[in-house]
Amino acid sequence: MNNQDINTNQEYKYGFTTDIENIRAPKGLNENTIKFISKMKKEPQWMLDWRLKAYNRLKNLTEPNWQKPKYPKIDYQNLYYYSAPKSAAEKPKSLDEVDPKLIETYKKLGIPLNEQKRLSGVAVDAVFDSVSVATTYKEELTKKGIIFCSISEAIQKHPDLVKKYLGSVIPLTDHYFATLNSAVFTDGSFVYIPPKVRCPMELSTYFRINASETGQFERTLIIADKGSYVSYLEGCTAPMRDENQLHAANVELVALDDAEIKYSTVQNWYPGDKDGVGGIYNFVTKRGACRGKNSKISWTQVETGSAITWKYPSCILQGDNSVGEFYSIAITNNHQKADTGTKMIHLGKNTKSKIISKGISAGQADNTYRGLVDIGKKALNSRNYTQCDSLLMGNKCGAHTVPYIKNKNSSSTVEHEATTSKINEEQLYYCNQRGLNQEEAVSLIVNGFCKEVLQQLPMEFAVEAQKLVGISLEGSVG
Amino acid sequence: MLEIINLKASINKRDILNGLNLKINPGEVHAIMGPNGSGKSTLANILSGKNGYKITGDLKYKGENLKDIPVEQRAQKGIFLAFQYPIEIPGVNTNNFLKTSLNTIRKAKGEKEIDTLAFLKLVKEKAKELGIDEKILSRQLNVGFSGGEKKKNEILQMKILDPNLVILDETDSGLDIDALKTIADGVNSSRSKDKSFLVITHYQRLLDYIKPDFVHVLSSGKIVKSGSRELALELEKKGYKKIN
Amino acid sequence: MIENFKISLKEIDKINLINQEDKNYRIKNLEFFNKKGFPTKKEEDWKFSDLREIFSKNFKKIDINDTYPEENKFRLIKEFDHNYILLINGRLIRSDFKFEDKNKIKITGYKEENFLREKSNNPLICLNNALSNEGYNLVVEKDYKFEKVLVIYNLFNEDLSEKILNNKNKIIVKKNSELHTIEYTINRSKNKFFNNTYENIILYENAKFKNICIQAGRSEGYFHKFLNGSIKSDSKYSSFIFSSGLKFNKQDIKIDLEGKNSDCEIKSALFLNKEDHQEIKTVVNHLVPNCKSFQKIKSVLDSNAKGVYQGKIFVKDIAQKTNAYQLSKALLISENSEFDSKPELEIYADDVKCSHGSTSGNVDENSIHYLMTRGLTKKEATQLLINGFLKEIISDIKSETIKKFVENKLEFQVYGY
Ligand SMILES: Nc1ncnc2c1ncn2[C@@H]1O[C@H](COP(=O)(O)OP(=O)(O)O)[C@@H](O)[C@H]1O
Ligand SMILES: [Mg+2]
Repeated sequence: MNNQDINTNQEYKYGFTTDIENIRAPKGLNENTIKFISKMKKEPQWMLDWRLKAYNRLKNLTEPNWQKPKYPKIDYQNLYYYSAPKSAAEKPKSLDEVDPKLIETYKKLGIPLNEQKRLSGVAVDAVFDSVSVATTYKEELTKKGIIFCSISEAIQKHPDLVKKYLGSVIPLTDHYFATLNSAVFTDGSFVYIPPKVRCPMELSTYFRINASETGQFERTLIIADKGSYVSYLEGCTAPMRDENQLHAANVELVALDDAEIKYSTVQNWYPGDKDGVGGIYNFVTKRGACRGKNSKISWTQVETGSAITWKYPSCILQGDNSVGEFYSIAITNNHQKADTGTKMIHLGKNTKSKIISKGISAGQADNTYRGLVDIGKKALNSRNYTQCDSLLMGNKCGAHTVPYIKNKNSSSTVEHEATTSKINEEQLYYCNQRGLNQEEAVSLIVNGFCKEVLQQLPMEFAVEAQKLVGISLEGSVG
Repeated sequence: MLEIINLKASINKRDILNGLNLKINPGEVHAIMGPNGSGKSTLANILSGKNGYKITGDLKYKGENLKDIPVEQRAQKGIFLAFQYPIEIPGVNTNNFLKTSLNTIRKAKGEKEIDTLAFLKLVKEKAKELGIDEKILSRQLNVGFSGGEKKKNEILQMKILDPNLVILDETDSGLDIDALKTIADGVNSSRSKDKSFLVITHYQRLLDYIKPDFVHVLSSGKIVKSGSRELALELEKKGYKKIN
Repeated sequence: MIENFKISLKEIDKINLINQEDKNYRIKNLEFFNKKGFPTKKEEDWKFSDLREIFSKNFKKIDINDTYPEENKFRLIKEFDHNYILLINGRLIRSDFKFEDKNKIKITGYKEENFLREKSNNPLICLNNALSNEGYNLVVEKDYKFEKVLVIYNLFNEDLSEKILNNKNKIIVKKNSELHTIEYTINRSKNKFFNNTYENIILYENAKFKNICIQAGRSEGYFHKFLNGSIKSDSKYSSFIFSSGLKFNKQDIKIDLEGKNSDCEIKSALFLNKEDHQEIKTVVNHLVPNCKSFQKIKSVLDSNAKGVYQGKIFVKDIAQKTNAYQLSKALLISENSEFDSKPELEIYADDVKCSHGSTSGNVDENSIHYLMTRGLTKKEATQLLINGFLKEIISDIKSETIKKFVENKLEFQVYGY
């Protein structure tokens, strides 16, 4: 691996790689790999057993093929499942022990890890390839009883919580990629907010895929105990490589009585080049359970990266009066493909859900919203409101809206609306007349189109996301 | 400032302008009057550089041929069009839009970009001068604005962007008398020797407030009569038909 | 006899075959059906209506029907003048075009050579291809506008216990012509049967075809109809569906807008009761520029009824200036009712206006309350509101007498509950 820091591609500024010595598991998916991972992480036996159980289930599962984007067959035996910077194999005790090259990498990504230059008001857990390399603001959080650490650390230090909740939202056997993750997940974040605690700052994980031929399988588990609140941010980038890389994460959220979890993602994995070569396959399973009454889970996502994005952050509204929200922007350009949406499963009484989805398609890209709203028989007086808007730029791209709506309850109301259109020429003309060029005008109008979603993001992310919207569409208007 | 020589224009195979000539010197205010459908907005659109028209003839702005210069560059060079129907752009904050617009124009002129604080101060000042409620500026661009608010917003933009050639396309239509005065004040207070105005209107009423140096009558795509301010009064009495 | 819903190839010999080629075609289709069987909810198109489950619950066996009695004892509609054709169990029995120029109309019974031998991987179409033996062929020659409406009496007689009927119909309206039909289904079978129809509609340039599909009373029939429409330039297809009262009904409608400025309109008002299960599925393919399509589906669901609407708008990359709109609204008035929908857009052209909306929920409480303060009982208030909800669709019918006729049928259903 040569150290190419030079940014040759204007559009994707995170395309550099870092030259760092790695420890890797041998290639291939088998019991030994899983045992290797578990051993590297010094996991207790129960965790290894859990992984092996998932692996055994996996043997009987096949990859799903109903989603719209098709991809070449992945050779699971030709991937590395574990890659860690050598320096981080022994988890550093403090930031001083972290390899300076890593700190440099994160600085380049705009995520300073040094204690002095920490992002104000945001605690960061940085995941580099397969391992968490640093978590900031730890002490301050500990004072409030908040646990924010890597999942590997949580498995060792908080086994009861992990045992109780891991796999409780996404069962071991859910579907191919989720099960694969359960077998081989390497790291990720763990959050526990104790009862009645309002987390005083944004918690954030920053994912970075660096090594080649390596799949990234992280696992995130967030538990908001009774009456607590947390806002969590997730950012991701990867170097430019002309191979496709697999990212199959699992994220589980659990909100107990009166708790609220806000989960925001700005996904900017490498999307591949203009001709569709390379890029990340982002096959992610995200699911939240509103387990307690009056609980709330809100997903916000800005999806601009990846060659293929395939994810449906969902809410299972079990508790009475619980609320699920999904705000999404998915932008696809060149040869990118996105099939994304949500599932809102209404089980409890007076449950409410809201879905706002904005899809923008340019170049030869394909953008699909796929969603399920299911109002169960016992979900009395429940409500859903869905708004899906698509914007097309040019007639080589496609927009697809596929909502599944089931209402089994006469006291519940479901409302769904969707539109597809192109950017209004008159709006462009108006902006041009005020001196803005075509690209500025498009960026402005598209940002306006996405406003409802952008304003859900915490301030720190909103600004970056707005820029990203503009950058992602560069070169898409002629 | 502006010279239009034998301008002919058509759109979708329909001839709209049929040989229009007009010369505006720096500091002058010209009014164009004409019945509905006579091609007034078409003229304004063509001056601003809107796509879609088939054009022959010459357009010269500050001595430069405007042919092949796209809309945004004309704007950056100081041509401002106050639209007859300002379009709504959902989700886009008016202030934010205006600041982006001002800064691109400043950049094109080789001036320094203005920061948010200075910008807000400028807006406040101009809004106050015009007696416009600043609140509309924190709303989405033109979305849900009343007719009057939209027109006032156009004038405020004109004030802030400080252009050299201002085209007002029926900025007076549908306004009550107070709003009309606001708009006229906005224009009058900007008049200077290096600024020119092309005021398109339907009614001579506006010309009581904005006193033009010249009045032209546009009919079926041509200027059929030009004169001083009195021509407007004559039009008001006799109607367009007689003038023709 | 059909065991396990697998059909013996021998059944084909019961059909009046034309030639060996015909036989081979039927065998191929039957083999395909037998391989796939009745569709289940695992199949995307049947996600909300698991036909295999419905069949295994309600049928022990199914036999091919071979009874077609001469039938004279049915009452013609008296409310308005009309032409008619009479079908019994799908077979064309007679026709009467007394208001029309007979030279301009061609009507014939089922003849296999009239139908395209299309390949399909829809098991029910294959089943129809394999076993269809009745149906009709209607051609309206060019430059002819029907004077009066044509009623298609679609009669099913008493002794259809556990029978399957496969019909193929074809309607062609040639250049500059107009046809208006009412498909009136009268069901006398007290027992369960399954009617599987494949219908082909072709509208040539500047043609107009309007159809109203309505049901006389309740029935034990299980219906599936696949409609394949091909619409050429400047033509208009409109369809009203009022098929309430069937045990199971799925109308699978595919319309190809093949010519510029063509237009397709599908409207429906359904009142579903008891164990009724009805699905309307529409796929409108915008294949060329400047076409319009509109779908409005309204359903009221009582008792254990289930309503499904799957609607897809497809816009090809060259189909600029498409204007497509789709709306489905459902009222659930009983605890055990269910409404599922999948309004889908698949769009590859950018200069288009495409949108859809779908709502389901209960009758507006405030409106009920308002009516109750005016002295109505809750039931009366609900009836009034659902009647109004459905009537909106009927109000789009132009002919006053036909509108009245349809309204009466619908009111009978609504107030009978
Ligand atoms: N895009 C167009 N296609 C065809 N005709 C147009 C178009 N735009 C304007 N016109 C016609 O050109 C004529 C002049 O329009 P316009 O300049 O808007 O008139 P005015 O502003 O003087 O009322 C009108 O008859 C109008 O209908
Ligand atoms: Mg005008």
